[in-house]
Amino acid sequence: MLKVKNGDLDKLGLLFERYHRALFGFLFHMTGQRELSEDMVQNVFYRVLKYRHAFRGDGEFKTWMYHIARNVMNDHGRAIKRTVKHQEVTELAETVAGDFSADALIHKKQELAILQDALSRLNEESREILILSKFQELKYHEIAQIMEITEGAVKVRVHRAINQLRNTFLQIAN
Amino acid sequence: MKCENDKEQITLWINHEMTEEQRAAFEIHIAGCAECRHELKAAQQIWQLMDAMPVPEVSRDMPVRFQAMLETYKESQEEKTNWVSGVVEKLRQLWSFQPGMQLAYSIVLIVAGLAIGFLINRQGTGYANKQQIDVLSSQVHEMKEMMMLSLLENPSASERMKGVSYTSEIKSTNKEVIDALLSTLNSDPNVNVRLVTLEALTHFAGEASVREGLVQSIAQQESPQVQSAMADVMLKLQEKRAVKSLKKLLEQKDLNNSVRTKIEQTITGLI
Repeated sequence: MLKVKNGDLDKLGLLFERYHRALFGFLFHMTGQRELSEDMVQNVFYRVLKYRHAFRGDGEFKTWMYHIARNVMNDHGRAIKRTVKHQEVTELAETVAGDFSADALIHKKQELAILQDALSRLNEESREILILSKFQELKYHEIAQIMEITEGAVKVRVHRAINQLRNTFLQIAN
Repeated sequence: MKCENDKEQITLWINHEMTEEQRAAFEIHIAGCAECRHELKAAQQIWQLMDAMPVPEVSRDMPVRFQAMLETYKESQEEKTNWVSGVVEKLRQLWSFQPGMQLAYSIVLIVAGLAIGFLINRQGTGYANKQQIDVLSSQVHEMKEMMMLSLLENPSASERMKGVSYTSEIKSTNKEVIDALLSTLNSDPNVNVRLVTLEALTHFAGEASVREGLVQSIAQQESPQVQSAMADVMLKLQEKRAVKSLKKLLEQKDLNNSVRTKIEQTITGLI
């Protein structure tokens, strides 16, 4: 990223290659909309280019990128509802869980649908912190940088978010 | 029984956010605490289930779109810098160009002004003015001559003396003037006028006609003052031709004694 900052814009291609899938995953989990998420990925990298001079180089590119991604989402409006089409999820689930038996597959599909639902019902903050720690495999100190909170706060919130998710999941399941 | 252990440790453990020591301590606790074991299991379940949550593959045109965006951005960046540098270049040209032209203009104007001024000056004072002054001075000269000539015919003696005195201002020797002066010297009734005229004529003594006129005039003088003055002038001019005229004066019997002595001295001086 420092090379990009210093004018070697082609190096951004490498960064895109490395991070665009993860970033897409984050945005998709947050919004549940595939096309919107792809647009946002473009938007994030455009901002990376435009504001490359603001990259201080003291943190990792990854955290800076997520930070920008959150701003992009903010601009789109925090009110974006997760509107994952059930059909899409089911189709995808088949590809993911292909090695299950028929009964188990149906069971798994149900569980995933409930989990999706539960995740959608979580508040924004909890959902975001779960996605960041679970899907993006970010460490607490990285999440702390991205969300501009202390590491201790991350610890507390992740714990609370998991409990909320589990409770919601159980509520829907029963 | 209620477990006093911090439940947050469960999520730390799941998320691999524990140090080795914390992990070891937590695992020992789990082995002996059914409640925590249950909690951990539930959390793990939901955590693992999340792993199964599908994420669609990104569409293939994403990298293409990214590259297109990058290229467009680079181009716009270049255009921007080009545009900026173009403006800077233009400004620089203006800066270097304008003062240059202004300087050139002003230098040309100053030089032209100086040249025109010099020419006008030269024509004015150097040529035309000089001509004018020459014409004017000659006119003044002529007027003075005329005035002098007319004054010499004035009935008043003082006016005639004034006319004679003008001759000192006349530098060129004019025959008319000299003739007039000589006739004044010979025939003016006033002694003082004749004396002044004699003095005036001595200024023109360089002229042969003046000397001749003076010599001839000696015999015609009757006033002792003028005779004496004539003798002085002749001595001064070392005019040897005057001796003859002076001797004629000595022959006159009514000649003033002092004049006689003077003339005799003059004759000896001249011979």
